[in-house]
Amino acid sequence: MRALPLPGVAAFAVIAVLPFLTGSSYLHHVMVLWLLFALLALSLNVIIGYLGELSFGHAAFFGLGAYASAVLTLQTGAPVWLGLVFAGVLAGTAGFAIGYVSLRIVGPQFAILTLGFGSIIYTVTNYWVDLTRGPMGITNIAPLTLPIVGPLTEARGYFGVVLACVALFAYACQALMTSRTGRAFLAVRENAPLAASLGIDVFRSKLLGFVTATVVAGVAGGLYAHYLRVITPELMSLQYMAALIIMVVVGGRGTIIGPILGAAIYVVLLEVLRAFGPARLIVFAALLTLSVIFLPNGLVSLWPRLMAARDRRKARNASAADAEASP
Amino acid sequence: MDWTLLGQQLANGLVNGMNYVLISTGLTLVFGVLRVINFAHGEFYMLGAFLTYYGMSMLGLGYLPSVILATIAVGGLGIAVNTLFFWPLRREHEFTILLSSLGMSLLVTHAAELGFGHDPKYLNSPFTDDIVEFGTIVVTQQRALVFAAAVVVLGATYAAIKYTTFGKMMRATAQHAEGAALTGINIRFVHSFTFVLACGLAALAGSLVGPLAMIFPTVGSWAVLKGFIVVVLGGLGSVPGALVGGMALGIIEALAGSYISLGFMEAIGYAIIILVLLWRPQGLFGGAVR
Repeated sequence: MRALPLPGVAAFAVIAVLPFLTGSSYLHHVMVLWLLFALLALSLNVIIGYLGELSFGHAAFFGLGAYASAVLTLQTGAPVWLGLVFAGVLAGTAGFAIGYVSLRIVGPQFAILTLGFGSIIYTVTNYWVDLTRGPMGITNIAPLTLPIVGPLTEARGYFGVVLACVALFAYACQALMTSRTGRAFLAVRENAPLAASLGIDVFRSKLLGFVTATVVAGVAGGLYAHYLRVITPELMSLQYMAALIIMVVVGGRGTIIGPILGAAIYVVLLEVLRAFGPARLIVFAALLTLSVIFLPNGLVSLWPRLMAARDRRKARNASAADAEASP
Repeated sequence: MDWTLLGQQLANGLVNGMNYVLISTGLTLVFGVLRVINFAHGEFYMLGAFLTYYGMSMLGLGYLPSVILATIAVGGLGIAVNTLFFWPLRREHEFTILLSSLGMSLLVTHAAELGFGHDPKYLNSPFTDDIVEFGTIVVTQQRALVFAAAVVVLGATYAAIKYTTFGKMMRATAQHAEGAALTGINIRFVHSFTFVLACGLAALAGSLVGPLAMIFPTVGSWAVLKGFIVVVLGGLGSVPGALVGGMALGIIEALAGSYISLGFMEAIGYAIIILVLLWRPQGLFGGAVR
């Protein structure tokens, strides 16, 4: 067992207190959405941040997980936990098949290929009406049932469950990055031919990262389905694909806090911007574009940048003081 | 086998394919010259269709003058797009540029939804009601116009890239930007003009194909998806690849739609492309992968 990183534990402890600060169920709902998207963004971060490839298909695995769990529990009456396992397994299997095919290609071609696969999954979900009810979506999905607590009805309960998932996965990412496998990922990202020359199996590393990310996306999808209890194929649409990438890159790719922060910004900003009425999404897109142009490495790069600016100012003041002291 | 049906579907596929070629030529040019995937490319398609619509309804112009006006206006917009979004970021990581273009795409789509309204509009063209007959195959004049105009414009574009000095400058920049700059080529000018060409072609596609279906502000994401699939199939950065890839996608979709399933038509198109990429990962006309 590796030692838990103290700042991380403290941060999660603070987050865990959040829902008790307010009684508003609307705020609780926003918080659960934030954590669900944080889980998704963290999983996409494995592909974007650690493997250095861009995937546009991630929302499709999210949707696949949501549909897998919803259909299984509705059609067979299976317990929800089994649905969540099935969601992870199905999304992971699809991720293995798609990754096996498309990870031979790198860069923009890979990104577009995942877009194609994502679109196939979306189209099939939309038109396989017998199974998925098509664009009407699935309603009346069973709520998540915990062993002692019973069925979860309040957003606060889901908050706990999803927070546990996020914390677990964040810890896994942290452990991965200090492990041999994680360093192999980074080596592949920085220079694939060099990594291969050192004996790293580039294709297997990428496939491992991709499948892990899709399994987590599938589970997140299952949680989403049992939380909202209504799902439509729109989960897999271009809007969600773009949203996930935005969270990872705006937050800061390749870090753990970045995607969580990015998800918070995304969810909270969209709610706050409701004040702008119909112009909400325009303001959102403008802010997104500006943040990309001025903070290309994400919000997490803001802090070191501010510190560097402070150090520079200090150094300048110090040298000015020196100049005054010496006549 | 019903040969008339087959011929009819092939004719429809060729027209749709031409539309895809118009969209993806711009996309592939931008990638070839700037090494950038422009997510906002579809928005110029959408703007082309809507400017044609407003040229007719507000300025009272005829259909063809509106098409030309929209193409020129959106082409001019290309200069602003390059100056604001792409030129300042040219040294950044490719994800950053891609996300900046994604941001621009969202910006334009949402602004269009606010400005033009959510509801689909019908772009009226005098050519949609008349037909042209080729033996037993019947196409509307509008479809024939899409095909003919695309052939002329694309032919001119390909000739310009191949034979003019500017085309040479573009190809030099595509091969090696710094080397091109050393020989005295103004890279910024080449980038700007590539965007003018790309945006103009996309707008032309939108204004020509607009009357064949309803137009709505989110049509751009459909267009850019098709464009992506075509350029990956043909090979990113390859102009002949865009031509062959676009035609192939149009015909595959038309045949799959009529013989297999209309609903799954698009999924079948993607599936075939994925099969092709397994055989040639760099696309049909793409160079070797680094």
